[in-house]
Amino acid sequence: MIVCVAVVGQQNNPLYIQSFTEAEDDLKLHHIVHCSLDVVDERVNNPKRSGSTLNETFLGLLYPTENYKVYGYLTNTKVKFILVTTDLDVRDADVRNFFRRFHSAYVDAVSNPFHVPGKKITSRTFAERVSNIVKSFRLSSSG
Amino acid sequence: MIGVGKIKQYTNVLEKPINKGKQEVSLSAFAFLFSELVQYNQTHVDNIAELERRLEDAGYAVGARVLELLCHREKLCHISWAGFESLSFPSHVWIRLFVETAIEGNRRETRLLGILSFVHSTVWKVLFGKVADSLEKGTEHEDEYMISEKELLVNRFISIPKDMGTFNCGAFVAGIVRGVLDSAGFPAVVTAHFVPVEGQQRPRTTILIKFAEEVLQREARLG
Repeated sequence: MIVCVAVVGQQNNPLYIQSFTEAEDDLKLHHIVHCSLDVVDERVNNPKRSGSTLNETFLGLLYPTENYKVYGYLTNTKVKFILVTTDLDVRDADVRNFFRRFHSAYVDAVSNPFHVPGKKITSRTFAERVSNIVKSFRLSSSG
Repeated sequence: MIGVGKIKQYTNVLEKPINKGKQEVSLSAFAFLFSELVQYNQTHVDNIAELERRLEDAGYAVGARVLELLCHREKLCHISWAGFESLSFPSHVWIRLFVETAIEGNRRETRLLGILSFVHSTVWKVLFGKVADSLEKGTEHEDEYMISEKELLVNRFISIPKDMGTFNCGAFVAGIVRGVLDSAGFPAVVTAHFVPVEGQQRPRTTILIKFAEEVLQREARLG
């Protein structure tokens, strides 16, 4: 089950953070997202294998904590998407699919001429699309 | 989609692919919109430099969004056939196929020449329907590169009055290039200039790109 999604900008400034459970503490999720940024930077600056994975967008499983798994995705403009989930058996393909649709919603939100790059994303349409994607992810992974 | 002009002529309307949709915007519609943009800004500024700066800022916003859009779009077209499954392939080969096509999406450019050729070919193709005429390295300084075009699409219906001096509406395109480079992590100063060419009545336009110091240092470090 997806607990939290976040969009972090080029200078590691948060652009959009949304949690999907009522019980969890928002602060703890923010902290997890913040810690995962270090892992992203490490992956970007020291690639494990040079060549095909050097400039890949999907960063994969960043690190597993006590009961969460964190996935990362990097776009061409150094904007990072972070996904925090409590599922234990989530498939790689599902996460890639999720990030692809999330990227699509993000591009649409940024193409808004009233959006200032570097500021938080305040579009309601974006928030709705993200919650739809999260819901369908929940259904596809549990089904 | 800001593509302008005819991308591909189909002689027979039956040959047009159905699902592609219209990827072109009418050139006259864009020309009117651009002329309105220039006129609007002209009434709000006092001098030429300010007008050029405003056009460039408008282009910067476009460039930042174009980069995001292009990366996302190119990824989509590569992933589209990853859902293919064949019983004749053993399962490990099929999985490898899927992964390879997913990786082959648009790469994040980290090298100078990479991002320059990206701007010169891909961005130009999407915006103007053709690749730029030429990409050259400046001779005097290490950090200067030039993209030349016989005539910029945005300038096609514009003639600059003599009293405006060296003003060039290509500042809009310079802003687009600056937006793309800046969002990709290559800060630069981009300007548009007219270069007179003998034998041609209208001068050639050159987009001059001057990269910031940190870009050159990073490039030297990467080897």
